[in-house]
Amino acid sequence: MPGLLADGVELWPLALYFVAVVVLAGGILGLSYVLGERHRERATGMPYESGMIPTGSARVRMPVEFYLVALFFVIFDLEAVFIFGWAISARQLGWAGYVEVVIFIAVLVSALVYLWRQGALDWGTARRAGADRDRSGRRHGDE
Amino acid sequence: MTLEQIRALLPLIILVGAAVAIMLGLAVRRNHAFTVAVAVGSLAAAILSLALGPTVATPITPLLRLDGFSVFFSGLILAASLFVAVLSHGYWNRRRTVISEEFYILLLLAAAGSVTLTMAVHFASFFLGLEILSGSLYAMIAYERDRQAAVEAGIKYLVLAGGSSAVLLFGMALVYARTGTLDMAAAAAKLAGALDVLTLAGVAMILVGIGFKLALAPFHLWAADVYEGAPAPTAAYAATVSKGAIFALLVRLAAAMDIQSNPPFQATLAAAAVITMFAGNLLALRQSNLKRLLAYSSIAHMGYLLVAFLAAGTLGRTAVGFYLAAYIITTLGVFAVMIVLSGTERDADRLEDYIGLSRAHPLLAAVFAGMLLSLAGLPLTAGFVGKFYLLAAGVGAHLWVLVAALVISSTISLFYYLRFIAAAYAQPAAPPALPAAVAMPRLARLAIAVLVILLLWLGVYPAAVIRAIQEAVAIGR
Repeated sequence: MPGLLADGVELWPLALYFVAVVVLAGGILGLSYVLGERHRERATGMPYESGMIPTGSARVRMPVEFYLVALFFVIFDLEAVFIFGWAISARQLGWAGYVEVVIFIAVLVSALVYLWRQGALDWGTARRAGADRDRSGRRHGDE
Repeated sequence: MTLEQIRALLPLIILVGAAVAIMLGLAVRRNHAFTVAVAVGSLAAAILSLALGPTVATPITPLLRLDGFSVFFSGLILAASLFVAVLSHGYWNRRRTVISEEFYILLLLAAAGSVTLTMAVHFASFFLGLEILSGSLYAMIAYERDRQAAVEAGIKYLVLAGGSSAVLLFGMALVYARTGTLDMAAAAAKLAGALDVLTLAGVAMILVGIGFKLALAPFHLWAADVYEGAPAPTAAYAATVSKGAIFALLVRLAAAMDIQSNPPFQATLAAAAVITMFAGNLLALRQSNLKRLLAYSSIAHMGYLLVAFLAAGTLGRTAVGFYLAAYIITTLGVFAVMIVLSGTERDADRLEDYIGLSRAHPLLAAVFAGMLLSLAGLPLTAGFVGKFYLLAAGVGAHLWVLVAALVISSTISLFYYLRFIAAAYAQPAAPPALPAAVAMPRLARLAIAVLVILLLWLGVYPAAVIRAIQEAVAIGR
């Protein structure tokens, strides 16, 4: 491809940089392999936390609601960013912008209504019966 | 926004409005049949609004543009989505363990994303449409979340589509860095055909991103696993609508930036086309799973389409339009048979499931055989006329290597299509692995009948359709 490198782009600094990266990373890893101590005592593989000896397993069972709420927070929080974007220029955008942001918020509200009715906002297991009832309700109603 | 622009935007408004309406409806009460009715109704309304929409090219904001090109491809996409929605009804009815209604919300959103892609004339709307489409597809693939294969397929698609989107965005950023605009036509005008290192890398990265989504050869590894794990309607959707929309975008992008006449890209894409055709067809040879086979066959078909794409010009674009229509009809037909045969537990995707199909369901076996023959490109079917046009476009542009590769590799493809047809007409030695298909829902029967009629119509009398496509792509500059 003639003309590809004709616009004054020098490639050798990039190549040098690449070599430097490889040498540096290889040097650090190699030196610590050669010079580093190697010992295997009883506590070598244990996680270090301020000298405390760990108890129990790290695999704690978290309630799944935690993740659901965290996810909804991220989604609705992100959408708040769009509303802020509208709010700072509300006057310039005029009525057209107002209608658009109302549509946007209406969609958000319907999503919230949907989540609420699905029982996604209920904390704990016992109250999720609502969703189950809906599921079995479909089964009867559909035949 | 003027009234005319809102009229042009109506298909998107209808689709998104229907998705929100279904969501609110589900908050009140779940009803599968009603949900399907709303989804199918809104898709039909969107098609109608396209047909009655503005007849002149209408720019809608700097992002979108409704012209003959986008009307044709949007119509194709919406019709395919409609078929998938109709077929999903019976499919999810049989799967009692899954909540089925949300599938249609995702389907409508994916259709909205695809329609956005066909209208996109700006990198922002391109990316937005793509992400709406893939975001819905992740969930549609992993929809049966109790099934490990489905979740695995969903995660695979999520990771690979996310990675390819990152490459795509990087490419767009490089083009933007040089031209200072995200408008495709304006960026192309700024570049004026001369690409330097920066924009060459940028456009190449955009093409890599698109290649991932289309599963072109070096980037095709995800397709078979994802299709196999996904529920059959989703696989049908990913193979038809998603690919059609992205190919439409590729054609528009290439027309704006004149990619085909740029020697480095021409050479790269030609090589990709040859590898794609052979990789798809050779890898399909050993598949005994129909979904995997269709995945590889769709890879090969994307390779065929690249031949017409590289031919460029009106003939090339007409060939792309016609071939995509034929490909979508036929692939939907094969998937329709699979969906109808799928039982309560798993999809009818194994070769054994089709042994002796002609005994149990002679008509269904005939449809199955017809659709596979069309994929192979035998006369009297839409696939034959489509392939004929691809060859004509390739020969017209003197792409001899590509034409030869197309002919050789599609001869190879005959073998694996015929293997399934032979299975369907074989005498079963043992009782079939699946229970004889449940009574076919009337709607699914109607959908299959329409697909067969379209297949034969395009195969026997394609002149009217071709004229319509010619007009559509002629406007679509």
